[in-house]
Amino acid sequence: MAGDGCEVSDLDQDKYDSAENVKIICLGDSAVGKSKLMERFLMDGFHPQQLSTFALTLYKYSTCVDGNTVLVDFWDTAGQERFHSMHASYYHKAHACIMVFDVQRKITYKNLGKWYQELREYRPEIPCIVVANKIDADIRVTQKGFNFGKKHNLPFYFVSAADGTNVVKLFKDAIKLAVSYKQNSQDFLDEVMRELENFELEKQEAEDLSEKEDLSEDGEKPKAV
Amino acid sequence: MSYMAKKCGVRFQPPAIILVYEDKEAGKSRQRIMPIRNFSKYSDCSRAAEQLKNNPRHKDYLDLVSLRQLEKLYKLLKGHLKGESLKVTLEEIKKEETIDPEEDLNKLDDKELAKRKHVMDELFEKNRKKKDDPDFEYEIEVDFTKDEQAESCGWDDASDEGF
Repeated sequence: MAGDGCEVSDLDQDKYDSAENVKIICLGDSAVGKSKLMERFLMDGFHPQQLSTFALTLYKYSTCVDGNTVLVDFWDTAGQERFHSMHASYYHKAHACIMVFDVQRKITYKNLGKWYQELREYRPEIPCIVVANKIDADIRVTQKGFNFGKKHNLPFYFVSAADGTNVVKLFKDAIKLAVSYKQNSQDFLDEVMRELENFELEKQEAEDLSEKEDLSEDGEKPKAV
Repeated sequence: MSYMAKKCGVRFQPPAIILVYEDKEAGKSRQRIMPIRNFSKYSDCSRAAEQLKNNPRHKDYLDLVSLRQLEKLYKLLKGHLKGESLKVTLEEIKKEETIDPEEDLNKLDDKELAKRKHVMDELFEKNRKKKDDPDFEYEIEVDFTKDEQAESCGWDDASDEGF
């Protein structure tokens, strides 16, 4: 599937509508450790598919949730984050998001806002987990408060891809959230309507996003309380 | 390996990499002077380090000396050739080895990004628990929940509103 000259059909995402398939995407700046987290979770079962055409790496994982088989595709960025924005297909049909920053680099925390905003443009409702990686570098950071999660009412995990702290828990919880989102989200037609609405909104916003940054900040305030 | 590297340094004049090692077979401490030739203030330090490390005559002696350390020694020499003080050169080297927490790595090209990742990988490897380690556990759960009075990370300042 990941062979050379793969066509867009390789990225056929219809399967994510079927009951047993879920899609979980990873977001965050370059070098925050997204791939290392994946590798730590999958260990020997780690067989990524590089889709270089799409600057994308897919990791497949199968598990059981409440007695049902679940086939998970984890989507990792393979450098696409360098464009400071992901292609729409990256978000398409995603059921959960793992959003990572590096506790050693302030800018990666600051950039969470941008990633989160983009995520919500495409996927307004999906569960999202905020992940503080590299706590092995200085365990004292775990005593500190990071407001981003609280502010947006998102679960927040301190993890280390190096020593393994909370990595497995993170991924298992993400899978559970993805599955329950999928079961509880409205029917297919509603999804289509929502995507269409977003598409319209997005077109409008794209035109004057840069001047309106202050406005959108104000717009978010009530949500944050 | 019968050569146990103890110390490795650089001599500026005449330029040479000097290794102090123990010859295990003879049970003696020895010094090896490896002259540096064709090296100028424009030379590429990582390439020079690689060439020395792979030099058939020196290879066995340098087995325990990291490429990184050799590269650093060449950087010291290069700084000297440029007329910098040792202090300045050392500061430059240190800067290259540390990550600027404010730098946006999304904006770097592949080569520069790879350099930063290399620096970060060192800590990763140092702290890494491998599957073969005796105390390895696949699932490690630690609860870091704290009371509400927790000190802020200091990153949620005024621009916090931007979130």
